[in-house]
Amino acid sequence: MTTTLPPRPAPGAARDEADAARPATTASPATRVLGAAALVATALLVLYGLVISPADREMADSVRLMYIHVPAATYLYVGCFFTTVASAMWLRRRTPGWDALAEAGAEIALVFSIITLGTGSLWGRPTWGTYWTWDARLTSTAVLTAMLVGYLALRRLELDPAARSTRAAVLGLLLVPNVIVVNRSVEWWRSLHQGSTLVKLDPSIEGTMLVALMVGFVAFGLIFAWLMVHRFRVAWLDQKADGLDLEAALAARRAESRAPTAPETEVTP
Amino acid sequence: MIAMTHAGYVAAGWIGAGVLIGGYAVTLVRRGRRLARQVPPGERRWS
Amino acid sequence: MWRDAALVAGRDLRIEARSRVTVHQVAPFALLVLVLFAFALDPARSILERATPGLYWITVLFSALLALSRSAALDETAGARDALRLSGLDPSGVFVGKSLAVAAELVVLEILLGVGVIVLYGAEPAGVGLLAATCLAATVAVAATGTLYGALVSGLRVRETLLPLLLLPVLAPVLIGATRAFEAALGRAPADGWPWCGLLAAFAVLYSVAGALAYGTLLEGS
Repeated sequence: MTTTLPPRPAPGAARDEADAARPATTASPATRVLGAAALVATALLVLYGLVISPADREMADSVRLMYIHVPAATYLYVGCFFTTVASAMWLRRRTPGWDALAEAGAEIALVFSIITLGTGSLWGRPTWGTYWTWDARLTSTAVLTAMLVGYLALRRLELDPAARSTRAAVLGLLLVPNVIVVNRSVEWWRSLHQGSTLVKLDPSIEGTMLVALMVGFVAFGLIFAWLMVHRFRVAWLDQKADGLDLEAALAARRAESRAPTAPETEVTP
Repeated sequence: MIAMTHAGYVAAGWIGAGVLIGGYAVTLVRRGRRLARQVPPGERRWS
Repeated sequence: MWRDAALVAGRDLRIEARSRVTVHQVAPFALLVLVLFAFALDPARSILERATPGLYWITVLFSALLALSRSAALDETAGARDALRLSGLDPSGVFVGKSLAVAAELVVLEILLGVGVIVLYGAEPAGVGLLAATCLAATVAVAATGTLYGALVSGLRVRETLLPLLLLPVLAPVLIGATRAFEAALGRAPADGWPWCGLLAAFAVLYSVAGALAYGTLLEGS
C-alpha cells in the first residue's frame, strides 16, 4: 500500500499568493506616510500662511501668495532637473525606470509651473495693477511652460516606444540647459528696463513670515515627492501595460496561424 | 481672515493651487488604480 | 566628418536648386509676412519703423520653420533614412551638412528681407558690421538648433505642428539677442549691441556641438 504524499506546492507558489494579495494601486506604505505628512504640512502652511503670519508692509496681504509662488517655482526647477538627469541616465543605461522618471518630472513640473504663473499674476494685479508685467521670472517661466508642454506632446506620440523614448530623452536632456539660457537672456533683457525680478522677497524677512515660507517649502517638497512617486509608478505600469498589449497581440496572431481548422485560403488581417 | 486686503486674489491663488494639485493627485491615483488592474500583480513590487 | 558634411550639404542644396522651394515659396512667404505686418501695424504711425528689428527677426524665424521642416522632410522617406544609415556617413557630418544647407538658405532669405525692410519700412542701414555679424551668428544658431529639433520630429505625421512648439521657445534667446543687436546697430537703443551678438555666437556654438553629438543617437533610434 503506497501512501501518496500531498503534492508539494509548486515553486514560487508562496510568492504568487503574496503577489495576488497586492492591491491594484500605485500606493504603498511609504506613500501613505508621505501623503499623511504632506497633508499635515499643508494644514500648517494654511495656518501660518493665511492666519498667523502678518501682512507685509508694502504688499499687504498679497504677500500670502508668495508662500505658494516661491516654493512652487523652486520645485518646478527640481522637476526639470529630474527630467534632464533621468534623460541623460536613460541614454546611457536604457533601463525603463529612467524613462519613467523623466516623464514624471516633466509632468509634475508643468503642474507647478501653472501654479507659479497663476500665483505670480494674481500677486501682480493688486501690486502693480496688471496681471502680467513681463517681469523676468514670469516671462522665463512662461517660456519654460511652453517647453514642458512640447516635451509632453512629444512623449504622447504614436511611435515605437524605444524611438519615442530616445527622442524624448534627447529633448529632456536639453531641458535644463535651455532653461538656463532662456532665464539668463530674459533677465539680461529685462534688466535693461527694470530690476530683474519684481518679486524680490526681502532677504531680511523674519519672524512668522519666514516660518510661513519655510513651511511652504516643506509642504511643497512633500507634495512634490508624493506626486513624483505616484507619477513614476503610473509611468512604469503604463510601460508594462503597453508591453502586455503587444504580447497579447502577438499571441493572438500566433494562435490564429496555429488554428487546426484554418481555412484553405489565407485570410489577411 | 475675511478682513484681509486683496482677499479675492489671495483666495483665488490658494484655492486655485489647491484645486489644481488636488485634482491632479486624484486623477493620478485613479489612473494608477486602473493601470494596476491591467498589469499582473507580480509587476507591482511596491505594496 | 567635414567631407561628409560637404557631401550632405551639397545634396540638400542640389535638391533645393532643382525644386526651388525656397525661392518659389519660402521667400514670397517671408515678404508676404512683412506686408502683413504693415497691414496690422499701420505705416502711418511710426510703429513699423520702431519695430523693424523685431518684425524682421520674427519673419526670419517663421521662414526658418518652413525651411527646417523641409530639410527634415528630405530624409524622412524610408529609402532616404536607410540610405543615410547604411552609407557609413558620420552622423555629425550629416548634421553639420544639413545645418549648413539650411543656413545658406536662411542667409539668402535674410538678405532679401533686409532689402524688404529698407524698401517697405524705410529702414536706414547703419552699423552694417554689427548687422552682418548678428545675422551670421543668429543664422548658425537657428540652423543648428532647428536641424537637431527637426530630427526629433522627423517622420512624424505631426511634424509640421510639433516643430514650432518645440523650437520657438528654445529660440527665444536668439530672438531677444538678435533684435537687441539690430536695435543697437540701427541706433535705436543706447545699449551696446556686441554683447548680444556674443550671446548669439555662444548659442550657435552650443547647439552646433549638441547637435553634432546627438544626431547619431537620433538617427539610430528612429
